Amino acid sequence: MKTDVQLPAATDLKKPRPKKAPELPILERRNWLIHLHYIRKDYETCKAIIKEQLHETQGMCEYAVYVQALIMRLEGKIQQSLELFQSCAILNPKSSDNLKQVARSLFLLGKHKAAIEVYNEAARLNQKDWEISHNLGVCYIYTKDFRSAEEQLNLALQLNKHDLTYMMLGKIHLLQGDTEKAIDVYKSAVEYVSIHNLTFKHTCFILYTMLLGKYQKAFEHLGNALTYDPNNFKAILAAGSMMQTHGDYDVAMNKYRVAAYSVPESPPLWNNIGMCFFGKKKYVAAISCLKRANYLSPFDWKILYNLGLVHLTMQQYASAFHFLSAAINLRPRMSELYMLLAVALTNLDDADNARRSYEQAVQLDESNLLVNLNFAVFLYNQGDKKAALLQFQEMERKVNTQVDSNINTEFDPELVEMAQKLGAALQAGENLYWSKPGKDSKSSQRSSSSKPSSSQQPLGTNQALGQAMSSAAGYSKSMQITAGAEP
Amino acid sequence: AVRCSALEWSGCYRNEEIASSKWLDAHYDPVANLYTFSSCIALSDLHGDGENKLVVGDLGTGVCNVKLKVYRGTGVLSESTLLDLPTGLVSFLMDLHEPRTPAIAVASGPFIYVYKNLRPYFKFTLPSLEVNPLEQDVWSQAKEDMIDPMTLKEMLEGLRDKAEIPLSVRSLRFLMLEPQEMENFVLLHKEQPIRRQTVITCIGMLKKNMADEDAVSCLVIGTENGDVYILDPEAFTILYKMSLPSSPTLMDVTGQFDVEFRITVACRNGNIYILRRDSPKPKYCIELSSHPVGLVRMGKNVVVGCTHETLHGYTQKGKKLWTAYLPAPVTAMALMDLPTRGFQAVLVGLANCEVHMYRDKNLISTIKTPDVVTSICFGRYGREDGTLIMTTKGGGLIVKILKRTAVFDDRDSAPGPPIAQSIRLNVPKKTKLYVDQTLRERENAVAMHRAFQMDLSRLRLAAARAYVKALESSLTPMSASLTEPLKMNAVVQGLGPSFKLTLNIQNTASCRPVMNLAISFLYDENLYSMRTAFFKIPLLVPGLNYPIDTFVECLSDKGISDIIKVFVLREGKSAPLLTAHINMPVSEGLALN
Repeated sequence: MKTDVQLPAATDLKKPRPKKAPELPILERRNWLIHLHYIRKDYETCKAIIKEQLHETQGMCEYAVYVQALIMRLEGKIQQSLELFQSCAILNPKSSDNLKQVARSLFLLGKHKAAIEVYNEAARLNQKDWEISHNLGVCYIYTKDFRSAEEQLNLALQLNKHDLTYMMLGKIHLLQGDTEKAIDVYKSAVEYVSIHNLTFKHTCFILYTMLLGKYQKAFEHLGNALTYDPNNFKAILAAGSMMQTHGDYDVAMNKYRVAAYSVPESPPLWNNIGMCFFGKKKYVAAISCLKRANYLSPFDWKILYNLGLVHLTMQQYASAFHFLSAAINLRPRMSELYMLLAVALTNLDDADNARRSYEQAVQLDESNLLVNLNFAVFLYNQGDKKAALLQFQEMERKVNTQVDSNINTEFDPELVEMAQKLGAALQAGENLYWSKPGKDSKSSQRSSSSKPSSSQQPLGTNQALGQAMSSAAGYSKSMQITAGAEP
Repeated sequence: AVRCSALEWSGCYRNEEIASSKWLDAHYDPVANLYTFSSCIALSDLHGDGENKLVVGDLGTGVCNVKLKVYRGTGVLSESTLLDLPTGLVSFLMDLHEPRTPAIAVASGPFIYVYKNLRPYFKFTLPSLEVNPLEQDVWSQAKEDMIDPMTLKEMLEGLRDKAEIPLSVRSLRFLMLEPQEMENFVLLHKEQPIRRQTVITCIGMLKKNMADEDAVSCLVIGTENGDVYILDPEAFTILYKMSLPSSPTLMDVTGQFDVEFRITVACRNGNIYILRRDSPKPKYCIELSSHPVGLVRMGKNVVVGCTHETLHGYTQKGKKLWTAYLPAPVTAMALMDLPTRGFQAVLVGLANCEVHMYRDKNLISTIKTPDVVTSICFGRYGREDGTLIMTTKGGGLIVKILKRTAVFDDRDSAPGPPIAQSIRLNVPKKTKLYVDQTLRERENAVAMHRAFQMDLSRLRLAAARAYVKALESSLTPMSASLTEPLKMNAVVQGLGPSFKLTLNIQNTASCRPVMNLAISFLYDENLYSMRTAFFKIPLLVPGLNYPIDTFVECLSDKGISDIIKVFVLREGKSAPLLTAHINMPVSEGLALN
């Protein structure tokens, strides 16, 4: 009140001269403090400072708004963060960084088309930004515009050779089914990426060699990757699964122990451990581990398949039936599953359904000899020699194509033995690959678990040779072959 | 203040690993009330008496109580108030006068306050930035009243969107104003010259022309708009100016100004730039994948701690040497230098209340702290060479002294995989019962399978029959009739004896409304009473949810409950369209008579 009274007198005296202008605070004066808290992940303090700063500058402090938007995005409030980034872009329309963040938020909201537009706008402001080109490429992948994606990613690679870009580019080629180009990408990634990013380098090399089918080389690199980072879960799983394929169950188990310590609740890990026990003929332990894997991931058909296989081996046909039918429900187009189901049904004295299941298996199958052989044995045992012969000939055809195209020249000794027996019974099979003189099948180093057949039937019961599935998280979808034979 | 003595405090560490026994716990004050960062801490022989003091730029509450504190031993020697938050402080020798007492330079806002003998000595102000000449023109026109505020606004807006040089705070503020406020704002400010100011974001020092410990040093400052200045130690004139593409956040300086120097600056855009004497632009650039939190030079290499919980080593030309993975985010970093023993290591404060000591990529020791460390400083304090000073997030101050007997193995003490490899796998055990059942299954698999299939078929049949029956007699809460496709669910609220019953009724038809419906309740009249046990429901528009409330009174106090049946009826039809059974909760209250 007091000043109010005095003021008129003063203004009357010197009317043209206004009172002294207050010092306007510098907008950016707290930016350093906001940044300091932001990078230390002290978001609460950071938000308090931002609030104060925005109050002081009436919302004009661009950096404060920018960091607030970043924090909101971290908190999952993507829509609000988008709005804040947009207001940053209004405060400073010449910054490509603001536009990049707007686009990033749009991308996270799934608005890929809008994100592409904003990224293009940002690219006009900053021509040589690796990040813009890379993210544009990723957006194009989501909109299924692979050509533009490839173009942008290649552009990004010209600007800066980042690991991520190589990975995305490789992924595009794989998505398009162009393995050769993918191999090229991984190859150049291996060449260009600095030697210090060993994990990435190994990942690339492993993918590269696996695509080429050089599993031995890939395995060596997995070993290298493991010496560099011995706790890498993915690498352990991939390496372990490869060791399992070669029957090195004890070494694989050693690796899995490390993995189980860091990630104790991984379904693929317990699946692989279970199949290691299976390989070592510790069936009860195998079932325990597989059941745990199944508990952790009840809809994984590979685990159910393995459970079915182990139960077949244990002659628990009723249980095997349930696991296999569950697996078929999840993956209805796989011939091996129908074959195993048929084996279970045969043992459950349900010949009609077994036959139907075999028929389904044969219809879906492309290259698995076991399906035809097992079906032939089944038919023979049922007394249907004619149909059995047909299946046997189908198997012969498959063997010959495989040998001719050099895909496979080593056959499982058990399979060969059974085929020879059946061939003799059917008076066929003289022209099979392994019956040719001088080309005796090389027995694989794996110990065969077959027992002498003790049945009264002329040929013994069916051979159920299954493939144990091992899912090495993301790396190999290859199946490992484990022989599970039944008497 | 509560203070633990060294003796008391060591009790907390009794069960610690051997690592902590390398340190003596000299002092811990959990309520020292310090809010500061590594850049605002220095150890300095302020009085030239051979005893180093600890100088801390305390940010106070972040708004007020900003102070420059000097510690000696375990107590505060002096405090002086600062006008604004300190961004950094350094202790440097500015001249050759005897006694050789160092000065303290505190960077704060656009100023550097220089203290000598703890008394204010000099204030340096950053040079103003260039003002857009067009903006200047526009304002001078406004000053002479040649243009009105609206025209001024339009012209400034045009400038903002096109000009290379950003507008001043005044113009920006003006553009935010409402039209009625503009006149006054112009009147108030037009006499003042336009200025563009920036602030200091980091500070360092550089020896002038000698490499000695007590040589005269220049101040090196980084500013918000991306400039780096080197100041003359005595005259505080700008000796050299360099510019960066982004605002600097952390800085490390080595060399001598007159000979050759190298300034390594971490910037807000996540890059690290290396500046050298001969070029005003960065010589090398390191692109990091995440923001740098700490930057420390060790010998000729630079060690950077990043937000992605990594620690990287680079050469001074920006070539990456190694990466170490940390268990938690970095909060503070400092160099541990013991020249007498020829030992150097990097101290990294982590968010999991640990301080890790790294030599190259090898973790050689770990210190546990009672709180998250926010700043670290290692050096000579008092008369003790190996003193580690840390402040914590809660405002505590920790002082530790390195034991003279402490030896650090150069070996990596990070836990290796063999430990995990020898841990037995936790394979679930199977019981005897399981084995017995397995044997039973082996023997009777066929019978079990047949029995199962038979029972399964029976179950399916029974389920189908029950379903058909429910549909036929409208016992379900979903109506099966095609003309009135309705859905209902009921909610009971309350503890009793009064309950609120909410029936949510929805017409699931695509476009046809349903009318002429009624609701009736069936219940035990000895147990419950309802004001209206029958009422009509309004026309139901498809898709909308109609919550219908009614109240039920429980009459019994014996703690029993019953089922209330709800029927949705159609006028003129005796069979209900749908039925719902509500399991009433037990009444927990007594009716007031």
